[in-house]
Amino acid sequence: MNRLFKMAWRNIWRNRRRTLITAASIFFAVFFAIVMRSIQLGTYGHMISQSIEKFSGYLQLQNPEYFDEPSLDNFIENSDDIIKKLNATEGVKVAVPRIETFVLASSGHQSKGVLVTGIDPEQEMFVSNPEHMLAKYKLTPEIVEKLLTETNLEKKQIELLKFNENKLYHDLDRLALDLGLNPSDFEQYHGLLNKYASYSGEYLSKNDDGILVSSRLATFLRSTVGDTIVLLGQGRYGATAAGLFPIRGIVRVPSPDLDNKLVYMSLSRAQIFLDMPDMLTSIAMNLDDNDDMFDIQASINSTLDKEKYVVKNWEEINPTLKQQIDGDDKSGQMFLGILYFIIFFGIFGTVMMMIAERKREFGVLVAIGMRKSKLAIILVFEMLMVGFIGTVSGMLAALPLVYSFYVNPFHITGEMAKMYEDMGFEAVMPTAPVEGYFAIQGFIILLMVIVACIIPLQRIRKMKVMNALRS
Amino acid sequence: MKVIEIDNLKKTYSESEVEVHAVNGVTLDIEEGEFTAIVGPSGSGKTTLLNMIGGLDIPTSGEVIIGGSNMNHLNGSELTDFRKNNIGFVFQAYNLIPVLTAKENTEFVMKLQGKSKVECEKRSKELLESVGLGERINARPNKMSGGQQQRVAVARALASKPKFVLADEPTANLDSKSTETLLDIMEKLNKEENITFVFSTHDARVVKKARRVITLEDGKILSDVRKNGGE
Ligand SMILES: Nc1ncnc2c1ncn2[C@@H]1O[C@H](COP(=O)(O)OP(=O)(O)O)[C@@H](O)[C@H]1O
Ligand SMILES: [Mg+2]
Repeated sequence: MNRLFKMAWRNIWRNRRRTLITAASIFFAVFFAIVMRSIQLGTYGHMISQSIEKFSGYLQLQNPEYFDEPSLDNFIENSDDIIKKLNATEGVKVAVPRIETFVLASSGHQSKGVLVTGIDPEQEMFVSNPEHMLAKYKLTPEIVEKLLTETNLEKKQIELLKFNENKLYHDLDRLALDLGLNPSDFEQYHGLLNKYASYSGEYLSKNDDGILVSSRLATFLRSTVGDTIVLLGQGRYGATAAGLFPIRGIVRVPSPDLDNKLVYMSLSRAQIFLDMPDMLTSIAMNLDDNDDMFDIQASINSTLDKEKYVVKNWEEINPTLKQQIDGDDKSGQMFLGILYFIIFFGIFGTVMMMIAERKREFGVLVAIGMRKSKLAIILVFEMLMVGFIGTVSGMLAALPLVYSFYVNPFHITGEMAKMYEDMGFEAVMPTAPVEGYFAIQGFIILLMVIVACIIPLQRIRKMKVMNALRS
Repeated sequence: MKVIEIDNLKKTYSESEVEVHAVNGVTLDIEEGEFTAIVGPSGSGKTTLLNMIGGLDIPTSGEVIIGGSNMNHLNGSELTDFRKNNIGFVFQAYNLIPVLTAKENTEFVMKLQGKSKVECEKRSKELLESVGLGERINARPNKMSGGQQQRVAVARALASKPKFVLADEPTANLDSKSTETLLDIMEKLNKEENITFVFSTHDARVVKKARRVITLEDGKILSDVRKNGGE
């Protein structure tokens, strides 16, 4: 075996150029496939993290009626015990109470349908963590003006500065990123920004009667911290729900869709506002290991009173996201399928050329006593080696790229970012961590090499020594 | 002792419109230790005959019996193994394995036979020395002259200790000096180690060295002459 391996290794370097071209085409395919796949999977992971992990939760406990008719009338009651029980359930990381409903918000002449989310401000820190999204800085026209006159930014930065005017920021690093500046270079502006751009938002307290408003919604309502807005809707059993709510803070929600409509309210205030004493619409849960979601869902469901409660998973709660991801996933895989198909023909062509060129040599080998099966092994070894060189180098090249973008997701800025956000996507391009999809690319190449060898191996099997020798 | 027995051997090619009787009823025996040349003009059937003797081609009719085994009774891989263990081949175009050194080429069939590393090394060195290439054991074919390559081919053919060596026009691609060297080596191996050689040629100088000359014409034996002791 060792000897056949050695022969195969020497054989592939006989036509150095062809080997390198074939390996290079595999290299690019693997590299491209991994990077593309990583961005896709990373994006899905990010979307799920933003809309599910940091908003709806992987699982939600609801009233069984609520799923088909998400009205406040289909509430759950006396929930303290059940929240405790869920928090104690194995695999459940955290379970938090929620009241969610749509109401009309208005301020001055502006009004808009908004999603009111009643939360326990303390427990919610473990799920959507609005505190972490609180806007602390705003690029007001004044500060933009100041930066323009008092500092000497480059032309490019000035453009970006104007482009991002009125945007809110939780931290200055992100602001630096939006202006295309290194956070350390940006430090010189911190003083100016702290002085003029600070935004005095506060998080909700336990029984707060104020609200947090998402940033795009606040812009739409032309309201800011300290202003009061009117919320008008229906409480439980059609009761009128109306109230004045002071804005405690503005939250920058990553998902553009949510950022257009989200209002956070303390649970106690929401229960009064909507006439839901001690009642909830749902309990949102996150898990220790998301791969266990279906098992945990089933196991909780089996212990519940089916008349009163049901646990739904995020794919049921947010089928649009699920479909969006599945659809994108399919088209991505199809694209890679086509790419691999092309590479397959490259590999196939190489094997065919190899056996055509070496027909006479094969004839000699069989003539002097080498079995065709051994010849076949050499040929397969050769192709596997070329495939291996291409695959491994492709993986090694993709590794640092994928890893660095995993640790430090690429933030899209400027016009491109706006385009992304207008389409409802957050303007980041994260990659997935290095895991199974790397190996899958290697497996695909292995499979292709084997399939590409089938016809050539048939040819060897049918080869007539005589004809091969005469060629 | 008879090494090769051939009985009424025929090979007819009927792929084209006209049938070609490449070998048309050849009957002959080869004795152990013979140094036999098969001669005849181009197209007389020399290659076809040698190929059938070597189990590389299948006769239309007739039999080849080697050391008592009827070649007609062997299937594809049995035939391959039979060649490996019983027949040494030297081809016109040297046909060494280009990625292997002289020594590795020589050892190749021995390794297929499952011989030990030590045995392979010893024998390949001895053989390469006996064909005058003791200095070049690590050279690859593309670094050797045609004559040297053909001498490696002879060493390779002998390494497996075959019952006989078949060589189809072994000197056709060589200049006269290399031809002479190669024939001297073959003759020496034949005389000193009693190796049976059957080779085809249409080179008069090569024919002179042979101790038995079988002349073919149109696939039939025209004459079969044994010389006593050669020249
Ligand atoms: N594969 C083949 N198909 C058809 N005819 C062949 C084939 N091989 C050899 N022949 C014919 O058989 C005859 C003998 O050829 P060959 O054995 O090569 O003669 P030699 O080696 O003496 O020159 C020639 O007429 C040749 O054209
Ligand atoms: Mg011939």
